[in-house]
Amino acid sequence: MQQAASRPLMRKPKRNRTEFWMLLPSIVVLAAISIFPFFFMVYASFMDYSLDMDRPRFAGFGNWADTLTDTAFWQSWGRTLVYAGGGLLAQLVFGCAIALLLYHIPRFRNLFSTLFMLPLFVAPIVTGLLWRFLLDPTYGLYHWVLNTFGLDIQVLGDPSYAMFAVIMMDVWEWTPLITIIVLAGLQTVPEEPLEAADVDGANSWQKIRYILLPMVRRMIVVALLVRSMDILRYVDTIVITTEGGPADATKTIGYYLMQVAFRFQDIGGAASVGLTMLLASILMGRFFIKVLRSEEA
Amino acid sequence: MQHRQKLLHAVLYALMTLSLLWALVPILHMILSSMKTQVNMFEMPPRLFFTPTFDVYQEMFFGRGDFPQFLRNSLVVSVVTTALCLLLGVMGGFGLARGNFRWEKDVSFWVISTRMAPIPAVILPLYLIFSKLNLIGTTTGLVLAYTTFNLPFALWMMSTFFKDVPADLEEAAMIDGCGKFRAFWRVVVPAAAPGIVATAVLCLMFSWNDYLFASIFTGRGTQTVPIAASLLVSQSGIKWGQAMATGTVIIMPMLICGLLVRKYMVRGLSMGAVK
Repeated sequence: MQQAASRPLMRKPKRNRTEFWMLLPSIVVLAAISIFPFFFMVYASFMDYSLDMDRPRFAGFGNWADTLTDTAFWQSWGRTLVYAGGGLLAQLVFGCAIALLLYHIPRFRNLFSTLFMLPLFVAPIVTGLLWRFLLDPTYGLYHWVLNTFGLDIQVLGDPSYAMFAVIMMDVWEWTPLITIIVLAGLQTVPEEPLEAADVDGANSWQKIRYILLPMVRRMIVVALLVRSMDILRYVDTIVITTEGGPADATKTIGYYLMQVAFRFQDIGGAASVGLTMLLASILMGRFFIKVLRSEEA
Repeated sequence: MQHRQKLLHAVLYALMTLSLLWALVPILHMILSSMKTQVNMFEMPPRLFFTPTFDVYQEMFFGRGDFPQFLRNSLVVSVVTTALCLLLGVMGGFGLARGNFRWEKDVSFWVISTRMAPIPAVILPLYLIFSKLNLIGTTTGLVLAYTTFNLPFALWMMSTFFKDVPADLEEAAMIDGCGKFRAFWRVVVPAAAPGIVATAVLCLMFSWNDYLFASIFTGRGTQTVPIAASLLVSQSGIKWGQAMATGTVIIMPMLICGLLVRKYMVRGLSMGAVK
């Protein structure tokens, strides 16, 4: 151990030399396309920088001050919380419920779970376009369904429903992710505790509550973490359906960033916004790794 | 008791049917709409039985539009990105799995946070760098952009697959006189082949399905199919027939690919956390 501590890079240099050289190209490429841009973004956040400018000027904490005192920035983060929180909660509930359904049905489990996971493969841009079609006030199938129930709502054009609609799109596309992860967990739950519970006269609900759900807790946490990082990642559905509107009702932080950067061409400001997003996803990534390691040990 | 069991199952199947309707109606509606005439398409309730027409597809593939070129661009970018990331990722993933490096934890963390970084936050610095290097509007730029999330994904996934291959296997090959790299190539890679295929398919899917990077980094002549879909939305309205057909063309290959590697889907989509 003592000896290993004095070596800078590798614990067992001789044995691992080949592995090191095999990993190196990836590290170099990844550094070039992730670390370098990251520092570039940090640099840009301190510069007065716009797309048509030859030479950015040093701005000190100007961009940061502007961003952090901008109510639109905080409102966008607020909407992101609603979007992520609402979406994740719905996905969690539906995802687990459907996984439990699949777990309990005696036949066609594989067929049903395969069919149910199809939305996962749909490109988010297509999801947006498709839902826009379904909700279209003139031609939309779902608008027609709502209409027959007496609800004549222009879902995407109404600030009070638009957020709900984009959340539903995310729920439609990604609930299956939670379902298949939780189902995979359920299928590894051993028989013995369930049989023991049967002997003790437990009903199905008690078995779910006290045996199945606790045993898939780790799966649920993993699924939620992957989803929460992904929900920050994508803005495609919002771009194609509402463009952040109506009246900014669906302007999440990602959309806000795109707007600051490419519509207002304020690169310095956008860089500071981007760094707050990165910070959020890095904190979640840390947590993800921690969960993985804690279960391995 | 028997009776109650039956009733319970009936309820479960009913709920399952509802869930499947929720998941599949939008997809079916899109596919069916793309094969209807303009008149039939907007009929409510929608007609389930009709004579399909492929006019929209014919116009898309053989008409005056640029659709075939969009499709070719998508294919080239996705395949090149996947090949590149797989080449690096298979070797690097093995290094990560077996290396026992001092900074392995940090590398793992770095890899996963690169994979999960929010796309708008990644686009911004890349845009600035690419404009300095004249890479905006080029296929190379888009391939590099996709590498930012596919390389960490491939590295991470391959390292989890290689960890499943027992180290005894390559040690036995080395005792038989193979060098380490040869043992890796001849013994470990074939053992992890299903994992490699699954990783490749997912890399392909992530590139193929991307819209945001493509919307910023492509220009005339390098645009991909998701851009073609978005271009059908304009101030004056949306060409729904074409939009649904384009959507169908985008999702079909991915549905097929996804079903082919169905077994590894959970693993891929949970970043290897669930086996």
